[in-house]
Amino acid sequence: MKSFCSARRQGMQCLGWAVVAIASLPLAATAHGAHVQARNTAAVEIQASYDTGEPMAAATVQVFAPDDPQTPVQSGLTDASGRFVFVPTTAGTWEVSVRQAGHGDIAAIPVEAGGLVASEFTNDAGLSWLQRGVVVGAVIWGCVGTALYFGRRGKQ
Amino acid sequence: MHIPDGLLPASVCVAGYAITGGVTWVALKQINKTSNPQVEVPKAALLAAAFFVGSSLSLPVPPVSVHLVLNGLLGIVLGWYAWPAILIGLLLQAILLGHGGVTTLGVHAVMMGIPALLAGQLFQQRQRLGKSLPPKVALGLFSFVAGALGVGISVLIFLALVVFAMPSTLDQSAERGFLTALMVGHIPLIFLEGIFAVLLCFFLLRVKPELLER
Repeated sequence: MKSFCSARRQGMQCLGWAVVAIASLPLAATAHGAHVQARNTAAVEIQASYDTGEPMAAATVQVFAPDDPQTPVQSGLTDASGRFVFVPTTAGTWEVSVRQAGHGDIAAIPVEAGGLVASEFTNDAGLSWLQRGVVVGAVIWGCVGTALYFGRRGKQ
Repeated sequence: MHIPDGLLPASVCVAGYAITGGVTWVALKQINKTSNPQVEVPKAALLAAAFFVGSSLSLPVPPVSVHLVLNGLLGIVLGWYAWPAILIGLLLQAILLGHGGVTTLGVHAVMMGIPALLAGQLFQQRQRLGKSLPPKVALGLFSFVAGALGVGISVLIFLALVVFAMPSTLDQSAERGFLTALMVGHIPLIFLEGIFAVLLCFFLLRVKPELLER
């Protein structure tokens, strides 16, 4: 009779420990369902292109938060149009590096509270074909002038 | 083939400036040894303009687009003067066109200037190395090889720099795939610049052969 009671007590103890063990498992491990929720947020879209106008498709993008310019908080690839979207979580200057085969650019984007790009920020549109033509023409003229100047001095 | 600011580590940019400083000193010393260093300046100025414009002329080689470099040609025609011409051309490209950056100027000078000097030295050896060949054949052969070698070595230095300085956070396989496409895209350019050098050398041989002798 005594041994029967002892075995029963041990059985109850085992059951107790099992209940404690299951209850102490992480909650996620006990979940069987998943839920996806949707909400609106303020995101920043960048678009990268070469100076020929061709989009930088599938270029590597790295996003750096204002407080850590060394470790990217988000990485990914641009789409076929050279676009990439990220969500800034704090206000400050976010740096976005876009690179492909040794070419690319780093943009410093000032973000205000609420995730909006600062109103004073303007995109660097690069040179238009007319501006490029004027610059190239000016440099050629400068070089020709240098050649003429030294050519004349050489003759003298 | 211009690396913008911020993509290379600071140590590489500093090393580029250090090498550029040393080579500039050697090149200016060599130029100063000539009896009248100013005689070659008009030629150097015109070819610096050609070098500057070359980077704006994109050639589509699907899936990439490449641009003329012309450093081998500058080395052939200018010799040591090619170095200051390329240095000034690169500075103007970085400041005025945004091709490359100011911090990577030294790296670019090494990448494009040293191959130009090598191409110039090779071209000057044509009479010694190619003495068994007819003079015109030697001129054609050495101008082609020197013209192609200039851009060819630049492409290899560019590849080595980008692979060496590639951050570990990048997708290495994707980046290597794009780099391979870019390198393959430069093969037609290497041949094109070689042919361009041959055409220019034969033109100069006909109109002003003394320009090919230094």
